[in-house]
Amino acid sequence: MKISLVGLVFRQVGTSFRHLFWTHVLTAATMALTLFSFGAFMLLQTNLEYLLKGWGDQLQITAYLNNGLAEPQVDALMQRIRAMPEVARARHISHAEAWRDFQTALGAQSGLLDGLPRDVLPASIEITIKPENRDEKIITQLAARLSDDNDIASVEYPQEWVERLELVVLGVGWAKWILGGVLFLATLFIVRSTVKLALFARKEEVEIMQLVGASEELIQAPFVLEGMIQGLIGAGVSLAALWGGYSLLQDHMPTIGFFLAPFGQLQFLAPHHIALLVATGWLLGSAGSLFSLRRFIKTWHPSSAKF
Amino acid sequence: MIQVLHLSKIYGPNRRALTDINLAIVKGELVFISGPSGAGKSTLLKLLFREEEPSEGQILIDGHNITRLSSRGVAQLRRKIGLIFQEFRLLPHLTALDNVALAAQVIGVSKRESRNRAYQLLRELGLKERCDAKPLTLSGGEQQRVAIARALVNEPTLLLADEPTGNIDKETAGEIMGLLVKIRDRGATILIATHDRQIIRRYGTRLILLDHGVLVDDLAQASGR
Repeated sequence: MKISLVGLVFRQVGTSFRHLFWTHVLTAATMALTLFSFGAFMLLQTNLEYLLKGWGDQLQITAYLNNGLAEPQVDALMQRIRAMPEVARARHISHAEAWRDFQTALGAQSGLLDGLPRDVLPASIEITIKPENRDEKIITQLAARLSDDNDIASVEYPQEWVERLELVVLGVGWAKWILGGVLFLATLFIVRSTVKLALFARKEEVEIMQLVGASEELIQAPFVLEGMIQGLIGAGVSLAALWGGYSLLQDHMPTIGFFLAPFGQLQFLAPHHIALLVATGWLLGSAGSLFSLRRFIKTWHPSSAKF
Repeated sequence: MIQVLHLSKIYGPNRRALTDINLAIVKGELVFISGPSGAGKSTLLKLLFREEEPSEGQILIDGHNITRLSSRGVAQLRRKIGLIFQEFRLLPHLTALDNVALAAQVIGVSKRESRNRAYQLLRELGLKERCDAKPLTLSGGEQQRVAIARALVNEPTLLLADEPTGNIDKETAGEIMGLLVKIRDRGATILIATHDRQIIRRYGTRLILLDHGVLVDDLAQASGR
């Protein structure tokens, strides 16, 4: 497109924004709502993944020892465990340490333990897995191998919880795309209506432009540019709303800490997620307009010309 | 300049708008197309500026077959054709000057040059003082002169006019026809669809008569000028 036409396109866009101000506002608001929903799911997914990563870092297998193991037997067992390639660290917790830990955990209620024998809690070994081995299959195999050891009574690990959380993250990821897709299509219909309105508001002008030999690109350019601007405004508004919501939750962490405690610190969208949201807004506006225009211009000719 | 060969237009199974039209128009001719309502005058003009596609036949303009054109080709074709409508078709929110300049701007002429050209034309057509007026404040004759200026702003070699005097009084119609004759004298080819017998008698050099989509007569007349 020639440079001299760029000014004309911008003037047409300006006129359209003035004449159909509320229609454009409504479309940008719809886009913002769609992008906000999509972004909210991204935000939830980001924080669940962060939570999962935190849990993964703390992932431990607890091997409870048989009663009556002598110290040399425990040392030998520790050596066997530390020699396993999947293991990062192993820590022995004696009957006495287990008792102390439990007492600390009970706090003011620790009096409940009065009268119980000090060796009622089993000795155990806490085994931390190397990050590269934090895989369901590897952990299950390792747990099975530990269970086979004659000095170990039983083995526990929180894999089930991790798997459940992984499923939740997967579900949120899918929901983000499904809901995002549905809203994307719904927004396309709104964009289509806006283009239709804008096209009919400028019907006469477009007809005359066609009759004096304006190219198809020149006729479509203002509508596509309007769509892009609406999409970018929609993305900006949705990001501002997401940031507002995020800040509000951060500020109220102490009061609603019970629900958010597992998250520790909340995370905002990563730069690539922000870029995705802006690009989606841009695409929604420009492609939506172009798609609608092709449909309308195909079916609508300047037939009102009285020739 | 224009050659029409076995041209037919069929809108539906029972609606033949034009049937087997053959004609040739040379550069610089002023041709009237006449006939009763529904004769096919409008359809013939629509086919010439490619608002419609023919069902059969060919149209050659300067040797180029315009019946098979892409949308880009149609836009290029229309840049060589000036169109004048009975109801003027000016944009009400633009001034007379901007209405004329827009036609040049959309084909890539700079804003300044477009406005220059528009001003020169409006001055030539006696509307120097009305450049900043909006169409609805202009008389019918003035509006039609603005429309003629718009049709001329890209210096077309062919002018197509549909009932250009249909919405104006007789005196103004005479002025408009005088202008069109002047434009023809500068070398443009002009086709005018009209059923105003008086105008045809006074200005006609050639008359093509259509009836029910069939070319019934092609008369060369003595000019009444």
